[in-house]
Amino acid sequence: MAVDKLFKDEATEEKGERARMASFVGAMAIADLVKATLGPKGMDKVLQSTGRGRSVTVTNDGATILKSLHIDNPAAKVLVDISKVQDDEVGDGTTSVVVLAGELLREAEKLVAAKIHPMTVISGYRMAAECARNALLQRVMDNKDDAERFKADLMKIAMTTLSSKILSQDKEHFAKLAVDAVMRLKGSTNLEAIQIIKKPGGSLKDSFIDEGFILDKKMGIGQPKRIENAKILVANTAMDTDKVKIYGARVRVDSMSRVAQIEGAEKEKMKEKVQKIIAHGTNCFVNRQLIYNFPEELFADAGILAIEHADFDGIERLALVTGGEIASTFDNPESFKLGHCKLIEEIMIGEDKLIHFSGVEMGQACTIVLRGASFHVLDEAERSLHDALCVISQTVVDSRVLLGGGWPEMVMAKEVDELARRTPGKKSHAIEAFSRALQAIPTTIADNAGLDSAELISQLRAEHHKEGCTAGIDILSGAVGGMEKLGISESFKVKQAVLLSATEAAEMILRVDEIITCAPRKREDRM
Amino acid sequence: MASPAVQQPRSASSKTESYVDNKRKEDIRRANIVAARAVADAVRTSLGPKGMDKMISTASGEVIITNDGATILNKMEVLQPAAKMLVELSKSQDVVAGDGTTTVVVIAGALLKQCLSLLNNGIHPTVISDALHKASLKAVDVLTAMAVPVELSDRESLIKSASTSLNSKVVSQYSTLLAPLAVDAVLSVVDPAKPDLVDLRDVKIVKKLGGTVDDTELVKGLVFDKKVSHSAGGPTRVENAKIAVIQFQISPPKTDIEQSIVVSDYTQMDRILKEERNYILGMIKKIKATGCNVLLIQKSILRDAVTDLSLHYLAKAKILVVKDVERDEIEFITKTLNCLPIANIEHFREEKLGHADCVEEVSLGDGKIVKITGIKDMGRTTTVLVRGSNLLVIDEAERSLHDALCVVRCLVNKRFLIAGGGAPEIELSRQLGAWAKVLHGMESHCIRSFAEALEVIPYTLAENAGLNPIAIVTELRNRHAQGEINAGINVRKGQITNILEENVVQPLLVSTSAITLATECVRMILKIDDIITVR
Repeated sequence: MAVDKLFKDEATEEKGERARMASFVGAMAIADLVKATLGPKGMDKVLQSTGRGRSVTVTNDGATILKSLHIDNPAAKVLVDISKVQDDEVGDGTTSVVVLAGELLREAEKLVAAKIHPMTVISGYRMAAECARNALLQRVMDNKDDAERFKADLMKIAMTTLSSKILSQDKEHFAKLAVDAVMRLKGSTNLEAIQIIKKPGGSLKDSFIDEGFILDKKMGIGQPKRIENAKILVANTAMDTDKVKIYGARVRVDSMSRVAQIEGAEKEKMKEKVQKIIAHGTNCFVNRQLIYNFPEELFADAGILAIEHADFDGIERLALVTGGEIASTFDNPESFKLGHCKLIEEIMIGEDKLIHFSGVEMGQACTIVLRGASFHVLDEAERSLHDALCVISQTVVDSRVLLGGGWPEMVMAKEVDELARRTPGKKSHAIEAFSRALQAIPTTIADNAGLDSAELISQLRAEHHKEGCTAGIDILSGAVGGMEKLGISESFKVKQAVLLSATEAAEMILRVDEIITCAPRKREDRM
Repeated sequence: MASPAVQQPRSASSKTESYVDNKRKEDIRRANIVAARAVADAVRTSLGPKGMDKMISTASGEVIITNDGATILNKMEVLQPAAKMLVELSKSQDVVAGDGTTTVVVIAGALLKQCLSLLNNGIHPTVISDALHKASLKAVDVLTAMAVPVELSDRESLIKSASTSLNSKVVSQYSTLLAPLAVDAVLSVVDPAKPDLVDLRDVKIVKKLGGTVDDTELVKGLVFDKKVSHSAGGPTRVENAKIAVIQFQISPPKTDIEQSIVVSDYTQMDRILKEERNYILGMIKKIKATGCNVLLIQKSILRDAVTDLSLHYLAKAKILVVKDVERDEIEFITKTLNCLPIANIEHFREEKLGHADCVEEVSLGDGKIVKITGIKDMGRTTTVLVRGSNLLVIDEAERSLHDALCVVRCLVNKRFLIAGGGAPEIELSRQLGAWAKVLHGMESHCIRSFAEALEVIPYTLAENAGLNPIAIVTELRNRHAQGEINAGINVRKGQITNILEENVVQPLLVSTSAITLATECVRMILKIDDIITVR
């Protein structure tokens, strides 16, 4: 042997065929895992944590499932990553993208086994993806100019997204919630302004949207419970005492009265600080940190509402929606911008009291209050609603809309098939394989619903040979139906992202011919 | 094992739910259902007035005897995810309605049993799930139609429903005492401005060992489970009290910054002691100047609330002192006394004081409590003093009282009553069964199963009461078929009677939320096909 030892102990190296096999198998295993959650009749998974508390999550969201998995296989990690990116970029289609990538690799494996070079497969996939994208582009609908129809489109998209989630029974209610919330944003994709509050109790139908902002905190004792035309000062400052932050600082005195004096001085300092805050002309003071009894009483005396211990998220959002700044020093009242809102009052949701800010400066802001039987339901409802909000806000920016229910996949498959027939050479095999992978998505949706997928897909393909066809799978009746009539739509942006990132991921994994696993770092302290 | 799926004739409208799934997924679903049913079976025997209690010995060696479903499940510490969901379910019912926590779990268990046989018939889980949802909506409609409206002024009806809830508990023999007490407690905190909202936090329950449950009373005022600090011989009873709630301490000063007093010779020591005395005396003089004669002092972690020295001076000034009041109780206290907390001696002013006719320390058994009665301009709060011969009984009495309070609160929120004793369930079962016959296909099949599952409640009631469940349930079904929609099981007489006449009633909200929550939970369990272990 020329090289005796190239790697460290325990580092492993897999080459050529074996490496490719390992990545194919890993990626397909991941795809198969989430496959069953796809579509309106997809099943849920229970995620049982091995950590403390052994908490249990029930979810249907691909990104959530994949995020929390223990994964060792490098190729599988790539799929988890694309699902994460899909979640960040467009918010929905996190399962679809993994399933499509998995199917592409499954097809590629067959081709490679038939002695077609991976590079040929990749170039074929590239051509096919380009062609599929163009096919979708030709068929998009854009109702941007017609406000009424555009809103109807948004409703349809929201309902399609929600129909595969826990909210499916009340999807109209939630679709309306989501669309209303996003429409308030007036075109911005800043979902920060939409706050979601979860309160157990009641049923999902009792969820509602509220214009304004709700803070899950209590008001101070003896302070006004209702303020009109509030001027809000949002702060992050210590309201116990301004301690000297030097370690070991201490005072030495020689009598008890001096101690009393120092205590008095500390109180006086606090009082000064409160006076400064009051000098801002505020009548509602929200602090991120605790407000001790003493300043609380001072505020109460001045008739100012003081809210303590609002969390980071809370104050940042409050500052955002009321148009104020977050203060930590109070020396320049002139240059500081206070937040404004029309009314602050205490409201009760379920068993809890919350503080409600209505008529806030930033009209876009709103709060969605979710109600549900248990925390499992609420958490899952929040994830579902988040998906819907993402998709809708993306659609508001890019208003191109497609039909749903497997229609886009079939359209793409048909175009790609035609491309394969026109293309000479080995590439055409890869292009054909791409079309088969695309069809796997409607097949999975049908399979999950317990339908006869082979029968349905063949019917669907036949339908799609007609010009201007709108056929897709109607899961509820278990047959092929017109998607336009059923009102099932999807956002073009989501589909495009699914197509492109799945292709890219598949390409990346295909290119691999060697996996080097570094030796795990040793833990010395472990016996 | 799973029988082969029934082949259906293919037509455009027929649903082809020939459900084929792989073995593992089927196994997981089955395991979930079995685990969840095991939980339901564990609490089943505690349902109803003749239900049995459970003794739970917790990990810390504490023993709890209870009949309350939510408490039993909470302490069981189950690990299996599906079983955990049933525990959550019971908790949700506790939050929503406060009562019926056993019922909801028993219904869920019965539904799961039916689902298992539906799955064995090869029906797709989502189809079952959708059908269950439909059935539960219909069930709520049926229940609402059965309900009788109730007025808040109708104290009798409220007491009846509270005693129905109490009858199934350990403290059932005291239901004549506790039921009116619960009703009065809730009604006294209802704000006329917002008649639909009741905050049960305005009802404070104070437990004190000694006496029997009979001695439980409703106190129009405040009760502290604390002694008056009278080590220095202060007063223990004050009439025409002026009460101050203070958040500062009557003890030598302490700064937030670290401090030390340097003493170089013993004359200085003397001076320091004198100064300390003067300092405290100064504070007490200020307090006395406002006419205050009762002090409630908030607990402080930083320093002693009172010292022996200050207690001595306070005693001389004839001021009654209660120390170590928790910070979260302050809001309740100030609301009740209609006063403001005082955080600094400089702000000690007369207008911040609360007034009451009498503040006294009362000996109860071996302990003592402080009672404040005859409060002027009292806020809308109330206190219930629960007594009992041992801790187990007191705890159970508290839980039962909480349930009864919740029942009354439900009635305030949703002013409808419904018959108890299994009557609504059997009526639901009958009407849904009839409805199922009108429907087609799988849906009809599933809804019929739903209807059958609901019979578990009267069945279990009868079984727990030692009656013949089959005879009772069939007779009940018969009576309902003849139009007696209020016929139910009279557990005391051991026969079927018109349950409304027997004064066994419960709030509508308890029944409806039990049905909807149980269905929601079962649907969730059905949709699970895999359990993944994650970080």
